[in-house]
Amino acid sequence: MAKHIVARAGEISPGESRLVKVQGRTIGIFNVAGQYYAIKNSCIHEGAPVCLGTITGTFIPSAPGEFHYGNEGEILRCPWHGWEFFIASGGSVFNPQVKLKTYPVTIQGDQVMVEV
Amino acid sequence: MTEVMTGTTAPIRKKYKVIDTDIHHCLRDWSELQPYLDEPWRTTVINPGSRTGGNGLVAWGGHRRRDSVPPDGGIPGSNPAFLIKQLFDETGVDIGILTGDIYALSVHPNLDYANNVIRAYNDWTIDKWLKPYPQLRGSIAVNSSDPEAAAAEIHRLGARPDMVMVMMCATSLFPYGQRRYDPIYRAAVEHNLPVGLHLGAAGTGIAHAVSAVGYPTTFFEYHSGLPRIYMAQIISLVTEGTFEKFPTLKYIFIEGGISWLPHVMWRLDKNWKALRNDTPWVKRLPSEYIIDHCLFTTQPIEEPPNPEHLLQIFEMVHAEKTVMYSSDYPHWDFDPLGPLTHLPEKLKRRIFFETASELFNFKEESDG
Repeated sequence: MAKHIVARAGEISPGESRLVKVQGRTIGIFNVAGQYYAIKNSCIHEGAPVCLGTITGTFIPSAPGEFHYGNEGEILRCPWHGWEFFIASGGSVFNPQVKLKTYPVTIQGDQVMVEV
Repeated sequence: MTEVMTGTTAPIRKKYKVIDTDIHHCLRDWSELQPYLDEPWRTTVINPGSRTGGNGLVAWGGHRRRDSVPPDGGIPGSNPAFLIKQLFDETGVDIGILTGDIYALSVHPNLDYANNVIRAYNDWTIDKWLKPYPQLRGSIAVNSSDPEAAAAEIHRLGARPDMVMVMMCATSLFPYGQRRYDPIYRAAVEHNLPVGLHLGAAGTGIAHAVSAVGYPTTFFEYHSGLPRIYMAQIISLVTEGTFEKFPTLKYIFIEGGISWLPHVMWRLDKNWKALRNDTPWVKRLPSEYIIDHCLFTTQPIEEPPNPEHLLQIFEMVHAEKTVMYSSDYPHWDFDPLGPLTHLPEKLKRRIFFETASELFNFKEESDG
């Protein structure tokens, strides 16, 4: 595991993401309300470039006929097939065991670093 | 050191050629058809009010792949060079069959409007997509609600080697086995073209709901029930004797899945033994007509918890001669080659290349 500088803090605004290449892997760097996360740009379902999906919220399980929207900005929706994932954990909304590959992110000074 | 990527998946390594039987090319906007239309259609085609709209139900995240917006803008599927890059260079398709996206015109209330716009769409497909890109083949879109006009369109374009099938909306005003549709089948077999159906347009325009119990509430409900359309059509085709009347007719059921088929075959076979007096022209087990005349495309492939179960379904439906690969590019539920790579090597070759190559007479192509 080595740390790689992938961005300067502030280059990726809250609610935004960027694709970087680290040692041959394409990785999405996400800023969710000031916290940074790194996700491999390959969906575990069919290999889609998942990090090019939509950053969104989701509907919390509710009683029939009720809608409770939540997790705004914390969900990544894959551009193929529409599976939803929590950006923070990589786990899917329908089953937390079904997870995207994630990498640890650290901030050193004004540098965002990913451990690969 | 970082590198910003425009990003997408790595090319797949494969030991076989791949034919994709369902690619949705589309108009950048309707004005692209104006050069191919006379008045009043040249004016009305760009008026959004002239189209029938949807059924009010949409997929979460939209109907098209968000990562397939062309670099110069426009909607996914509207830029031929970008489609070739994503689907051929990056996904691994070698030959692609364009199926378009104008099925709803078959359930438009105005036959003349639909016939003229469909004709223009076919000419636009030839000029913009088929002439510059030899790796693409086209399908002749027809208005199934006007069978004589549909037959005329098949005769107009059927001799072109780059047009390899007839394309109809799966949703129809009457079941497709009824003899009112025979002119379409007569023209198709005369030109040795299979007839393809693509799901869509249920509950739009003057179409029936997707089900006999009324209109669904959500896209989830609508989309999950779409194979009912194919169940209705295939039962009609078999019981009406369409394949007795047209012994060389081949029928392709696109984007409806496969796992519903064993039930339909076995229920038809069981009923035929008792009820064959209704249709004495049905001379063989109904399932035999289906296996001999009907083909099915893979996307959206079923994903049972035990993948072995899909192989069992494939065995039940004789997948080595009835199933062909499709991607559905650039729609939201696109399937790359990956979901089928666990199949046995011989079956994979049949599904990815050989069956389609035989069906569409791609004689000049050899398996890589």
